[in-house]
Amino acid sequence: MYGWTGTILRIDLTKGKVKREATDVKMAHDYLGARGLGGKIIVDELDPKTDALSPDNKLIFAPGPFTGTFAPSAGRYEVITKGPLNNVIACSNSGGAFGPELKYAGYDALIIEGKAAKPSYLWISDDKVEIRDAAAIWGHDTPDTTDLVRAETDEEAKVACIGPAGEHLSLIANIMNEMHRAAGRTGVGAVMGSKNLKAIAVYGTGSVQVADPDRFKAAVMNARKLIQAHPVGGAGLKAYGTDVLVNILNQTGALPTRNFQDGYFPTADKIGGESLAAKQLVRPKGCFSCIISCGRVSKVDNPDYKGFGEGPEYETAWSFGADCGIDDLDAITKANFLCNEYGMDTISMGSTIACAMELFEMGAITAKDTDGVQLTFGNTAAMVEMVRKAGKNEGFGAKLAQGSYRLAESYGHPELSMTCKKQEMPAYDPRGVQGIGLNYATGNRGGCHVRGYTIAIEVLQNGAVMDPRVTEGKAGLDILFQNLTAALDSSGACLFSTFGIGGAELAEMLSALTGVEYSLDEFLRIGERIWNQERLWNLKQGYTTADDTLPDRLLNDPIKTGPAKGEVSHLDQMLPEYYSLRGWDEKGVPGKAKLKELALN
Amino acid sequence: MIVKYFATIRTYTGESERRVDDTPPTLGPLLETLAARYGRPFRRAVFAGDELNPEIIILVNGRNVLYSGRLEAPLAEDDEVSIFPMVAGG
Amino acid sequence: MAKVLMIHPDKCTGCRNCELACSFEHEGQFRPSAARVQAYTWEREGMSVPMMCQQCDDAACVTVCPTGAMHRSNTMANLVDWDAATCIRCKMCTIACPFGNARYDAASSSIFKCDTCQGAPECVTFCPSGALEFIDDEQHVRSRKKAYAAKFKDAFQEVS
Repeated sequence: MYGWTGTILRIDLTKGKVKREATDVKMAHDYLGARGLGGKIIVDELDPKTDALSPDNKLIFAPGPFTGTFAPSAGRYEVITKGPLNNVIACSNSGGAFGPELKYAGYDALIIEGKAAKPSYLWISDDKVEIRDAAAIWGHDTPDTTDLVRAETDEEAKVACIGPAGEHLSLIANIMNEMHRAAGRTGVGAVMGSKNLKAIAVYGTGSVQVADPDRFKAAVMNARKLIQAHPVGGAGLKAYGTDVLVNILNQTGALPTRNFQDGYFPTADKIGGESLAAKQLVRPKGCFSCIISCGRVSKVDNPDYKGFGEGPEYETAWSFGADCGIDDLDAITKANFLCNEYGMDTISMGSTIACAMELFEMGAITAKDTDGVQLTFGNTAAMVEMVRKAGKNEGFGAKLAQGSYRLAESYGHPELSMTCKKQEMPAYDPRGVQGIGLNYATGNRGGCHVRGYTIAIEVLQNGAVMDPRVTEGKAGLDILFQNLTAALDSSGACLFSTFGIGGAELAEMLSALTGVEYSLDEFLRIGERIWNQERLWNLKQGYTTADDTLPDRLLNDPIKTGPAKGEVSHLDQMLPEYYSLRGWDEKGVPGKAKLKELALN
Repeated sequence: MIVKYFATIRTYTGESERRVDDTPPTLGPLLETLAARYGRPFRRAVFAGDELNPEIIILVNGRNVLYSGRLEAPLAEDDEVSIFPMVAGG
Repeated sequence: MAKVLMIHPDKCTGCRNCELACSFEHEGQFRPSAARVQAYTWEREGMSVPMMCQQCDDAACVTVCPTGAMHRSNTMANLVDWDAATCIRCKMCTIACPFGNARYDAASSSIFKCDTCQGAPECVTFCPSGALEFIDDEQHVRSRKKAYAAKFKDAFQEVS
């Protein structure tokens, strides 16, 4: 096979058995890899009623066909499983170098089943696979884990691992690779922890083959040129990182502030990409095969928050910043480093702390609940302390580690959890930007921006423009983004390559690489198939149209200050058209005709 | 009126904001005045010939000027104008 | 007027496009373990450095080679070339190179060593950050030297 390796590794941790299987060629062609392929395996093999934290769940690590080639910024992989946070097909995307190494070792996917009897790690060196004792490594943070595992395997091995949060089965635990990159959302780290699996080390000396080298190289050179000519892909992201978004969202009036109580944060400039570049940036960093280099190697000299690592991203600067009423970038960056070390999703962590702050300020919880900490908005030291506690599963931190939905519900105020389908919404206020609200509400994995990043059009003028304040045309926009992104996520490409290229360039590179002809239409249809596949799974989990919604606050409470003052989300004006355009009925159930068209049963 | 600058625009202006006392009636003359002040890099960033540069994002009180007339977008004394290069994130 | 492959580690982002380009150019597939250039990353320091053959004028690999397979090219300046036909794979060159830039690959029975793609190095084309340059030897340190000279200029301009 070209692009794909043709081999899948199935590892049963209960029995300690390893099996090599042939990649199903038709499945690979129709679902590409990563998100799509992993999702298909879950749908085919997993009983929908499976408890996500039981040994019966399956944990899949899957790169895409592009992964390991020099398709620009295309070294991604996904972790796919039934997510414990909200029972969806949790598919979390990450960069770094782990995905390509899986391809060089010879694998299109790792399917991890069962549960090891004691803490273990996997060592995969080409076709040699060992399940090893992790007793000496369990309990360590993710950077130390990476070094310890490499000392026992190969110093150039790529390591994906959980930190203490995953070990404690935190529902917002992530999986880190290369110390600084994260498969962040939907609690995939908890599934890994529930299997007593601490880490996976991979080293590969194999290769990824190309069907038509000349055509592939030409397509890649063209794609590179387009990305490099784009102001964002070519220069902006490298200069300022994603954190540059703080100011533009704030100036648009859609920077969620203090648990979405407002949409404007007056001192936002102190936590934006300009400040990061001036105060903390050491140098930019890129993932495998990346030409964009959005990564920030950063340091904090302030002795209170001293640290060195990567980040923060925009979402992180928001979640620990404006959402908590905090404008101290040093503290925010420290919170970011801590999340990486403990292995926690920064979006969910910050938003959960913000929720706790609101509960505290209204008196629903008191200092007795919070171990004596005055957990108020703007209390920088308290925020950082809570991140540590959550990472260690200590005291009030143990409650925070289960996410804002369970936290707020336990104190009788579920309406204060800023979540969709129990996952925390990211850093764009739906009252100020209508289309992203529809994406949050309909998102298959809950509150999520990357799966349908309409912000690119509604705020960032990337290739086209639509007024963020109107609802017209947003249903169609969301669907296009959701479909394209699903296909892109399954190919191994990075979302940021869309600052420069689109489905046409991706389809051309994919065709040249794999030897399978993909038109733009076919590429988008694959994305649509994957989106519907995830939707069908959610329906089996009991999700209904009632769950395609936003918190009441966003539907009914207008933004209080700033440029979008007075606005609310008009989700009800977009959702029916969304269902209709998707070929679903008025309850959001995919119609038979649509399923037939997509070859889904 | 206050004009705020972000990201690379700040490197062209050397400052992050400027108070403007005589508010021009529309955006075009405002940008001309600022371009005269800050020089060619700024001018090239905001204009493409006689048109608004498609790679610049300008908000007036949070609303993109693309929806209020581009260079003809009306300005009032208490307005806040924000000027961004194309930026991105996730 | 000879060109050198200049490395600027301060610009390296660790993307390893150089390894991919090298592997693809020489083998038509992506096998970075076979690349003649390797970009190593130190995650804790957030720093990466690419390494390839420095085409030494007085090359240890040329000195030890018993057959002349490793030899200074007589068609290209600044190039230590490897002749597969006369090489006996004794691997003395891999032992002699103090930088570790020559390696023996069992899979292809060859010595892997950067050959600048015979004067058109692909790694330079694919590096997105300018960390690799194929540049005239008269100019290859100019930008770095001048950047430092500019600091002196600024300092003296202030006082004079």
